[in-house]
Amino acid sequence: MTIQECYNALGGDYNEVIGRLKSERLVQKFVLKFPADGSYELLLRSLEEGNAQEAFRAAHTIKGMCQNLAFTALGNSSAALTEALRDGSLAGYEALLSPVKEDYARTVAAIGEYEASL
Amino acid sequence: MGTEKGRRKEKILVVDDSEMNRSILADMLSDEFDVTEAEDGEAALEILGKSADEFSIVLLDIVMPKKDGFEVLAEMNRTRMIEELPVVMVSAETASAQIERAYELGATDFIMRPFDASIVRRRVLNTIFLYAKQRNLLSIIEAQINEKEQNSSLMVDILSHIVEFRNGESGLHILHVRTITDLLLRKVIKKTDRYPFTEADISIISMASALHDIGKIAIDDKILNKPGKLTDEEFAVMKTHSMIGAKMLEGLASHRTNPLVRHAYQICRWHHERWDGRGYPDGLKGDEIPVSAQIVALADVYDALTSERVYKPPFSPETAKEMILTGKCGAFDPFLLECFSEEFEHIREDLSKNVTEREARREIRNYAEAVRHTGGTVASERTLKLLDYERMKYNFYAELTEEVQFEYLVPENILKLSAWGAKKFGVEQEISDPANNRRLQEQLGKDWFSGLGRALQQTTPGSPEFRRDCELPIGGELRWYSVIMRVFRTDGERSEIESVIGKLVDIHDTRLAMNELKEKSIRDPLTGLLNREGAGEELPAKLANFPAHKYAVAVFDIDLFKRANDTYGHLFGDKVLTEVAERLVHSTRVHDLCARIGGDEFLIVFEYDADIHPIIARVFKALCGPVGEFDLTVSMGVAEMTEKGQGFRDLFKHADEALYACKNAGRANYGFYGESKE
Repeated sequence: MTIQECYNALGGDYNEVIGRLKSERLVQKFVLKFPADGSYELLLRSLEEGNAQEAFRAAHTIKGMCQNLAFTALGNSSAALTEALRDGSLAGYEALLSPVKEDYARTVAAIGEYEASL
Repeated sequence: MGTEKGRRKEKILVVDDSEMNRSILADMLSDEFDVTEAEDGEAALEILGKSADEFSIVLLDIVMPKKDGFEVLAEMNRTRMIEELPVVMVSAETASAQIERAYELGATDFIMRPFDASIVRRRVLNTIFLYAKQRNLLSIIEAQINEKEQNSSLMVDILSHIVEFRNGESGLHILHVRTITDLLLRKVIKKTDRYPFTEADISIISMASALHDIGKIAIDDKILNKPGKLTDEEFAVMKTHSMIGAKMLEGLASHRTNPLVRHAYQICRWHHERWDGRGYPDGLKGDEIPVSAQIVALADVYDALTSERVYKPPFSPETAKEMILTGKCGAFDPFLLECFSEEFEHIREDLSKNVTEREARREIRNYAEAVRHTGGTVASERTLKLLDYERMKYNFYAELTEEVQFEYLVPENILKLSAWGAKKFGVEQEISDPANNRRLQEQLGKDWFSGLGRALQQTTPGSPEFRRDCELPIGGELRWYSVIMRVFRTDGERSEIESVIGKLVDIHDTRLAMNELKEKSIRDPLTGLLNREGAGEELPAKLANFPAHKYAVAVFDIDLFKRANDTYGHLFGDKVLTEVAERLVHSTRVHDLCARIGGDEFLIVFEYDADIHPIIARVFKALCGPVGEFDLTVSMGVAEMTEKGQGFRDLFKHADEALYACKNAGRANYGFYGESKE
């Protein structure tokens, strides 16, 4: 699996990220790092515990990383969740969380497959 | 050049809670900068608290745990760190309110996520350069301050200190009032458009504030320095000091025109008026009191409360603030109290700092502001324009000539390239720490920088230029370049290289063309063999290898060639010559040298180890043989090299003699010099 195919699989824009970061080595390095970042777990845990502020920060971090890496799909869904959580209320976040879950699973799966093919 | 010791890289603090985001930034910047990372606002402030001076710039995320980016900015404002250390926000925040807030808190720039590697690098560099320039400007201004401002400032200080000494107050009161006045004025201007004060006004009013009590010069010592409470009568006398001070200033000729005296007059006369109209000497009320006098009044009260006096111990700053805000001491414009309240931390901190340092910094900052506002560079505008024009002209020519022009600044450790050069190497036009720039190493070879250093070592103060044509491995391709450089050195005995300008011109193609031309000039166009000149040029070097190798020179011509020409035509004659050349090349070895030295006359220089006779026999045999209907034979004379240093002419002459001996003996034969005679 090429990195390009990995991006296609996770719904990202490889051309965009390589345009910005300039080096495939860098892109690869950060893509492989992504699954290890704890923000997703923090997001789920904070939502479970009803900690809206922490959940907002975690969602915001995921959004930021996705923007940096041009993970478009997860970036969009996490951005929507971030905005919903911004004012500190947990009302109706569930509807926005499930696309984040789906996109995250897809993203991590694609990266896993890519890593296995290296 | 001193740079290889590795000039310290500029330090950057990257603050972001996401490890990945930090490392993306670190990766982008670590080539050129020394990157320190902090995982949240608290960690950042801790690092800055210890060693803010070491950093050249902070890259700051907004949304972070513990302390967010805004809190970091606020703290940097409180400690005034923000004035020295530029902060560039890096955030995914797109709400303009957030961005606006960051700018208001003093952020220099805002980089939106997702970011582009080259933009981040460029912005960081620009910000650092800008701040460096500002620091330079400050130091220039500092010099001017000392020259210009100090005189008048000094006069005011002397004058006001005379009052203070008589007064038995600490010399600090005047300075404190001045500091507070300055801070409050700025706050007032920031919060309202009501007062049209310029930077110059602020500086003058602050200076004038120092004169607020000069009227006390006329008050009797006994009253002025009485330890206990004043009687009503004594207080009435004391109260006259404001009007006396005003009168003193009124007596000055420049009263109406000089802004310093005008402001000082208002301050002296009305710094004991009250907002509620119960002050003295005129009982002015509200806005009737000039704002400068109102501000000095507040400053005066605050410092009096927090200072020790003959009749009272000092109050704490917080108590003093409370007394003023609750109206226990004086009566002030609520708006002014608001300003005071907001500026309180600043005031408290500034008053506790070292006095002279504070003064100097404030003056300089004010002056810098003034220069910035009034456009202090008007005089040099034309020069700048001319410089710009020169730069455009230079760039235009540089584009045309396709040469890499460069400038290296040693103390700054910055390499500047012409646009064309930067494009050719695929790098930015300005590169800090070029020795360690990866792209340049790829383009110029890993050791290019030390090579440059060695080249520069060859220059001296007396001959600062370096010119050489050499092969350089640029872009992975070894090509010929003409390198021209000129170094500039510092004055003085230990003259060191300060900067280098120069250019690299690709002369590869020209050089190849030259080589080709040269090649042409030494070759016979018909047969491709060397001509006489060519042979003459290559032989001496070859023969120098004697006696390690043996040499023999053979000269031959084609028998009855003239007849062949006449019978079969010139084209056929050319064909014969070509054929002979071919046979010659095939029958000799690489080390042998073959040339066509005249019409049908050829030359061979053999290099051999044992015996020349069988070689000559073989070559002679190969040369002879029919070409078409022409039965081609040659006559050949051979001369062996017999002693070191024997010249080619000598050998040639011998071979020629042997050739003629052969011809005379009936052609189609070969003979050796010295043998035929036997």
